[in-house]
Amino acid sequence: MGKQLHLLSQSELVYAIKSNESDVLKHFYTTNYKKIEVLVLKNSGSVEHAKDIYQEAFITVWRHIKNDKFTPKNNTALQGYLYKIAKNKWLDVLRSNNFKKTKTLNYESLMFFKNEEQNEDENLTNNKLKKVMDVFKHLGQPCKQLLSTFYFDKKSLKDIASELNIEESTARNKKYRCMKKLRAMVLASK
Amino acid sequence: MKDNSDISEELLEIIERYINGSMTSQELKDFNQLLELDDDFKLKVEDIKTMLIGIEAQSLKEQLNEFHTDIPKTIVSKSTDIKVRYLNWNKIAVAAAIIIAFGSIWFFSIPKNEKLYTEYFKLDPGLPTTMSRTDNFDFYDAMVNYKHGDYQMAIDKWKVLQEKKPNNDTLNYFLGVAHLANKNVSDAIPYLERSIEAEDNFTFLDDAYLYLGLAYLKEGNTELAKKNLDISNTETSKALISKLTK
Repeated sequence: MGKQLHLLSQSELVYAIKSNESDVLKHFYTTNYKKIEVLVLKNSGSVEHAKDIYQEAFITVWRHIKNDKFTPKNNTALQGYLYKIAKNKWLDVLRSNNFKKTKTLNYESLMFFKNEEQNEDENLTNNKLKKVMDVFKHLGQPCKQLLSTFYFDKKSLKDIASELNIEESTARNKKYRCMKKLRAMVLASK
Repeated sequence: MKDNSDISEELLEIIERYINGSMTSQELKDFNQLLELDDDFKLKVEDIKTMLIGIEAQSLKEQLNEFHTDIPKTIVSKSTDIKVRYLNWNKIAVAAAIIIAFGSIWFFSIPKNEKLYTEYFKLDPGLPTTMSRTDNFDFYDAMVNYKHGDYQMAIDKWKVLQEKKPNNDTLNYFLGVAHLANKNVSDAIPYLERSIEAEDNFTFLDDAYLYLGLAYLKEGNTELAKKNLDISNTETSKALISKLTK
């Protein structure tokens, strides 16, 4: 990637996010939240809304980076992109009928609103992906742990094997079985 | 998703290598060719891709809440009351009820006490000071300040004496009264409490109880006020008691 010098930090950021570097993700997450919170609070939302919207937007941005849907064009492009996505998501919520109907938001209507938000998100993003995420969320702990460490933390099978005190080939086989299990569950949840 | 779950370990790993870009160029070429030719294969690859992203996305999602706790707290507290304002009318109602309750307690009890205090608080005239008394010069020197209304000066001077004689009833009594005159009730109470520990023949005992009662009245502690006023055998305390028990 022969980018200009001032884009380097953004490209580095993109690279780090692509490889799920925890510190970078955390920093990127914590430093960009305030603006979204201010936006949501100023526009009839609560702290809870702000958190939900922000996390959704954050995952969307992360996916777009993964899929190369987004490449930074200036110094603060990524931060701006995150803000834009969160803002649009919040505007969608505000425009939604259920939100307009609830004049005073008590706890009950907040729950209601949350459900609706999920449905709406399904329209926007990939249904399949949602399904995989949901199934994976409820996958048994050993498999979940193993797959998360391998695919998200990007740890090698060798490292995982030594942590679990097993042979590397056993770890490889476990990983395969877990994937099969997850896949079967995803297919079954149709 | 099409039911093509019969995927081998080898194929899974090949697809993984395709997705994370670790194929050699020759492998990639072959793989792309296969993708073009075989729609089922293509679908399989798409499915695996979705699964991998799903695993990662869910893992990330579960980490975000952890990240969230590290966002500086100031914003959270600031926004909490905004949240209350917009969301929780129940909480507001409870808060309002509490404010009204405390407000009315304050409105109905403390002002009454304050009123009684100002009505019944009459400053002790102090002891006569004459030029001839020289044996206890420092004490009477301060008494002059007290009589002139310079309570702080009197307190400062008496305090020096009191530190030498912490159990001197007269000193404690006048220090207490001077603090009251100086509108400093909480400082007055300890001195007055000490002065009522005096012997029964202490000249100012009744007055000490009266002023202690008044001090507690001003503090809003009606119970202790009554208790002390009860002991004090003065016209003022009797009148006050009858007002308080009314």
